[in-house]
Amino acid sequence: MSSQTQPTAQGPLAGVTVVELGDSTAGPYAAKLFGDFGADVIKVEGPAGDSTRRRGPFPAGLPDPEASGLFMYLNINKLGVVLDLAKPQDQAAMHRLLARADIFISNLPAMQLDACDLGAKTLRSRHPRLIVTTISPFGADGPWAGKLGDELVTYAMGGIAYSTPGMPDAADDLVKEPPLHPACFVAETIAGIVAAEATMAALIGRGRTNQGCHVELSEQAAMAAMQIRDVTNASYVGSHYNRLLNPVTIGRMPNFYLPCKDGYVTVAAPMEIHWERLTQTMGNPAWAQSELYSTEAARTANWITLRLNLIDWTITLSSDELHAFGEKSQLPIFPFYSIRKMADSDHSRVRGTLAEVEIGGRLARMPAAPFQMRETPWGLRRPAPRLGEHSAGILAEGLVT
Amino acid sequence: MTPARSNPLPLEGIRVLDLGQFIAIPFCTLWLAWLGAEVVVVESRRRMTSRTAPPFAKGHEKQPDASGYFNQLYSSKKSCTVDMTTAGGRDIVRRLAGVCDVMVDNFSTGVLEKLGLGYESVAELNPSIVMLSNGAFGRVGPMRNARGLHSAVNLFSGVADVTGYADGHPRILGGVLPDPLSGTYSGFAILAAIHHRQRTGQGQFIDVAMHEAMLTLIPEAVIDLTMNDVEPQRIGNRDRVNAPHGIYRCRGDDSWVAISVTDETGWGNLCRAICHAELLDDPRFVSLEARRSNVGALDLAIEAWSRTQDVHAATDLLQRAGVPAGPVLRVDEMLNNEQLNARGGVVTIDHPVAGPRRQMGLPWNMDSLGVEYRRAPLLGEHTREILTGLLGVSEADYARLEADGVLA
Repeated sequence: MSSQTQPTAQGPLAGVTVVELGDSTAGPYAAKLFGDFGADVIKVEGPAGDSTRRRGPFPAGLPDPEASGLFMYLNINKLGVVLDLAKPQDQAAMHRLLARADIFISNLPAMQLDACDLGAKTLRSRHPRLIVTTISPFGADGPWAGKLGDELVTYAMGGIAYSTPGMPDAADDLVKEPPLHPACFVAETIAGIVAAEATMAALIGRGRTNQGCHVELSEQAAMAAMQIRDVTNASYVGSHYNRLLNPVTIGRMPNFYLPCKDGYVTVAAPMEIHWERLTQTMGNPAWAQSELYSTEAARTANWITLRLNLIDWTITLSSDELHAFGEKSQLPIFPFYSIRKMADSDHSRVRGTLAEVEIGGRLARMPAAPFQMRETPWGLRRPAPRLGEHSAGILAEGLVT
Repeated sequence: MTPARSNPLPLEGIRVLDLGQFIAIPFCTLWLAWLGAEVVVVESRRRMTSRTAPPFAKGHEKQPDASGYFNQLYSSKKSCTVDMTTAGGRDIVRRLAGVCDVMVDNFSTGVLEKLGLGYESVAELNPSIVMLSNGAFGRVGPMRNARGLHSAVNLFSGVADVTGYADGHPRILGGVLPDPLSGTYSGFAILAAIHHRQRTGQGQFIDVAMHEAMLTLIPEAVIDLTMNDVEPQRIGNRDRVNAPHGIYRCRGDDSWVAISVTDETGWGNLCRAICHAELLDDPRFVSLEARRSNVGALDLAIEAWSRTQDVHAATDLLQRAGVPAGPVLRVDEMLNNEQLNARGGVVTIDHPVAGPRRQMGLPWNMDSLGVEYRRAPLLGEHTREILTGLLGVSEADYARLEADGVLA
């Protein structure tokens, strides 16, 4: 761990104790946010460990359950305990941990929790001040409560897949370009963030009621909540976005995502003043003086040829040149950044957007603070636990209590 | 679950001064308001953003109380009209900051400072205030002044680098995810800071950059690149590890089913459910490694079946067989989705101008704490209450401020 990431102050959640019984991303990420901001988080794993330990990415691609990059990211700043919750004595140990905890976070299936005496009802009655946060694909009740869902399925049922690629990008062909899911854990991460906020609200509420709470979250609903702009359109005027470029849904043109010499760039100039600046920036080409583009309405009506004309311009320029034009002309012209280019940018460096960690003897960088708190900064206090790393100390202490 | 309304609201007693615009900050304070915080929105007839934005209730186009964009993002909040371009208006906002626990904004970097409302000035009057600023690229760093629509945030964050069809170019996500996503992080950050303040009395400034919020979606790709020099790949709807994992065409117009198989049991269940048990013996698909190597053929085999199926029938069949599957829902289908509705996740809020409208409520339920969904305020509805009540402005002074256009 590099010294720059050592916190100089306690996190805002110092003194809060969280017990996490999670797997993959959603539950562990919610608990990570607590650990990242100072809470004591005890991660409980079964004897086989969190499945993320087996997913990687691994140093040089060589599988090693103690060197999974994703596991490291999701579980830094936590202590690790192994319990075999099929065994009554380990269930009892779990309850001793929970007796001292403020918060329990789990994204294991409800049936699995019930089977080891850790169902939400049991926890609420045995530990009346405990905040019990459960995350499931569709929620604990309703006709889909017991159905099988994961990242891809909850994402698809949360509304964003249908409209991706989305404005100002668009599909040319609805069949060849199906609804699109990015190659990352969007729905699970969002479920984790929402669970963290919900849990914090319940913790603050407990300060007034002196009572615990079951915070019961649906991953599908968390994704759906993120679609507020599109839901409003459906609710007020019955319209919906599909993946086609269409002035009815996209509005005034130009507002495009276009290829350039070395990448891709968005170009928007929806109002007259923007269009004037854009034509100036392009050096007043003859085509831009055409009747076809003489008004906002005309540009929107003739967007198909307008797009082609603009590509003839963007394709001659690099991402950096176009970005500079955008800055100079105060127009929303913005290029695609690869992860490498973003990670190496001055902006990321100055902000400390990425933090350096050691994974299986190799240095890697990973996303650091999701937001920056001036008095209680994010900090990398400890690496993710090895499987059962803190079992002896924590459980022995638990037995004494 | 017990009816939400009968339970105490978790954030009752917390007052938030909301200088937000667009979506990110209004979305953040929307949830805080539903959870019981008193959210005071400062707006002005001279400078309206959300209220002039479509969609409008039919027959009420361009009316400030009929914008769906506003009404859905400002539910349960209070509207206080103050013209911050006047010295009197800025003074009122400063006094409001003095009596609030939290202050939030997503102006361009530097705007609040120009108004004399930057953190340093506000903290002088109210040292324990929690102030949060949300911006495309944050308040610190060489790009702090850069303009950033949601698409720019998407393109800078790295998410576009892993969004795209197999071997195709980077694509932009639908919706405006950077806004509500950074808004949710803002909510968590504010509550963490309030917890800290309750313990220590200390307030603070929080800087939220939308691109950093988006970056948290792609740890795998960032780590693989920086640890192993493995370039991010665009792989359509496939997964780096599991197969099959995709969105497959169904019968009908633009109709699709998502199917995800994570183990050999699931693969067996899928093949038997779709009556293609012969796939289980196909050497191209006998193991996870084989399926990954022949993923093109694998997806074609599944789609050959799915395109003859109704999406809901296909979903039911697969779910019954123990295979994670679900329909790709459009937003209007989502509003009607039986599961979201059964959980109380779709709420109808009535409004005197726009009428009853549906939107997504909080995506979680609570057994001992409550939520309150109230209509959005009419323009300036709470100005008098806030000035004469909260700030103790006399009726005479209120009349003078109104006459001077400070409350426009």
